[in-house]
Amino acid sequence: MLDIGGISKRFGQVQALDRVTFTVQPGELFGFVGSNGAGKTTTMRIVLGVLTSDGGEVRWKGRPIDADVRRRIGYMPEERGLYPKMKVGEQLEYLARLHGLDAADARASVERWTSRLGVESRIRDEVQKLSLGNQQRVQLCAALVHDPEVLVLDEPFSGLDPVAVEVMSTVLREKADTGVPVIFSSHQLDLVERLCDRVGIISAGRMVAAGTVDELRTGGAERIDVTGPPPGWADTLPGVRVVESGPRATRVELDGATDQDVLRAAVAAGPVRSFGPHRPPLTELYRDVVAAPAVTEEES
Amino acid sequence: MTAPLTPGRAVVLVARREFTTQVRSKSFAIGLLVTIVIFGIYIALFSFIGSQSSSNSLGLTSSTASLEPALQDAAKAQDRTLTITRVDRAAGEAQVADGDLDALLDGGPGSWTLLGKDTVDSSLQQLVTGAVQQTTLTDALTAAGQDPAAVAARGNVTVDTQEPVDPERGQRLVLAIVVAVLLFMSLVGYGSAVAQGVVEEKSSRVVELLLSTIRPVHLLTGKILGLGLVGLVQLLILSAIGLVGSLTTGILTIPNAAAGALVSAVVWYLLGFFLYASIYAAAGSLVSRQEELQSTVAPIMFPLFIPFIFAVSVLPNDPRNTLGTILSFIPLFSPTLMPARAAMGVAPLWQVLVAIALTILAIVGVVLAAARIYRNSVLRTGARVSLRDALRARA
Repeated sequence: MLDIGGISKRFGQVQALDRVTFTVQPGELFGFVGSNGAGKTTTMRIVLGVLTSDGGEVRWKGRPIDADVRRRIGYMPEERGLYPKMKVGEQLEYLARLHGLDAADARASVERWTSRLGVESRIRDEVQKLSLGNQQRVQLCAALVHDPEVLVLDEPFSGLDPVAVEVMSTVLREKADTGVPVIFSSHQLDLVERLCDRVGIISAGRMVAAGTVDELRTGGAERIDVTGPPPGWADTLPGVRVVESGPRATRVELDGATDQDVLRAAVAAGPVRSFGPHRPPLTELYRDVVAAPAVTEEES
Repeated sequence: MTAPLTPGRAVVLVARREFTTQVRSKSFAIGLLVTIVIFGIYIALFSFIGSQSSSNSLGLTSSTASLEPALQDAAKAQDRTLTITRVDRAAGEAQVADGDLDALLDGGPGSWTLLGKDTVDSSLQQLVTGAVQQTTLTDALTAAGQDPAAVAARGNVTVDTQEPVDPERGQRLVLAIVVAVLLFMSLVGYGSAVAQGVVEEKSSRVVELLLSTIRPVHLLTGKILGLGLVGLVQLLILSAIGLVGSLTTGILTIPNAAAGALVSAVVWYLLGFFLYASIYAAAGSLVSRQEELQSTVAPIMFPLFIPFIFAVSVLPNDPRNTLGTILSFIPLFSPTLMPARAAMGVAPLWQVLVAIALTILAIVGVVLAAARIYRNSVLRTGARVSLRDALRARA
């Protein structure tokens, strides 16, 4: 289990991370969301040891992460990083060897991952000659080429076309299914909701919510979607608060009343076409949780 | 499948990438070729200039015509060619104005004048002045009943040296200059390559990926070793071509001294490279883009330029120059100055050894400081990192 335990980091006057704590289980896809500057990248850099934290600890399988463990993490930095003038194959082999593979294993692994990600025909091309999407695939190869025990990916989906998003999603899922904890950050909340087992929301350096999407939903008051009755039917209803109302659909939040009270009132107001609990998507949960977005420049 | 990566293996992997990338690059082959061509041109130019004896044209009027034998004697003594034309004053002035004559000698005892267009070549001045004074003295002595030759013999000074005059001095000088030029070129060239490499990794952000698996000091060491080796290969190729070329063409006839100079050039290249490459790497790590690099590496050129200029301009005329001797012990200056002095044969072995020891001490200090600067700034992108921040901050 990857255990991020209360890590803090300060850049000058800015408290970039404030005792951020969460865990990622083996085989789990963990989605890391938050506005720009919330602390996602800083957290990931600290996990990789590229930055040192001011306090707290990152543990893998119960032991603090050291250089040897780090070498077995696959990493995709937010700012893509490859040598522009080096050939794809040579570059990936070099990175694999820096992670401890011997020459033969490195070559085999480069072949396997480039063909898995559909860039095997570009092995002999310089990285700078590839399209941005293909460069991103190569970047993912770089994170996977040493068969990592842990995957940490900073916005792996940004800038990808829908096909590449599918390929990337499948690869991440497969990787998780082999027992690897996978953390990735993204602003594409629908994708995170669809793909991830658990989600962490970070805001202004604090972990404000973490859990499965269902767990995150249980935090707020129950909401009910009703379609059918004419607009305004619930405005004066005691014990409820109207969250949204349209010409046909109304969403109310229970504040003392029960769902049966609401149903009776709705039937009385007009024909009810549908009635059911509202399952807020991650986008909505995120908006509620990150109530006061403190946007500061992401540093370093 | 994955084995623990020892620091040594990490450094070797990085060094090998640097070496192969650099050696396979077009700029390496082109740079080598250009250097060889430049050296060829220099050698051709030097031998051409050396084969030219200086010549002057001088006009004599009827009143100065009698000086011709004395002038020709003086020119011969100085191994110069003097073309003398008899003209009258007006024609002489016209020819000087046209540039057909370098100067016109007119007048008589007490009023000799040497007329030039806007200036008179100083060596021609000396030649004419010397010949006229000599003639005047000889005439005066003869008139006074003295034998000019006997008088001259009384004032004769014999030059002697305590040690035998080094007949190879000229060749040693050439060796010294070549060594200084080669070292200067290699240090500047491959030092900047290190700085550029550091910035390339920063600007392409690949450094973050690398540092998630290896330590900054290993990346830095590998880079310096790899590029240093490329510089060494280039140095050896150039030296081999130069040595074989100059020995077979007879420009150099002292193979032992040349071999000694080569060995000392290699030793000093290695010392100088570690010293300067770490400084270049630290300078590179402070900026994030190639365009900003020039401003941080420019100051590094000064400690390289000063001894280089000294080696090629002051030492040839004054090999035992005191300032040169002192400077050759200062670590940043030693790598070009000490081998130049050694090639000239004016640096005893103990001086060389002391300078090497001092340089090694300096390397230890500089490498530690540079590694600290590099570690603290290599992941910081954006604005240029101030030196004070880089030395103080902990990433």
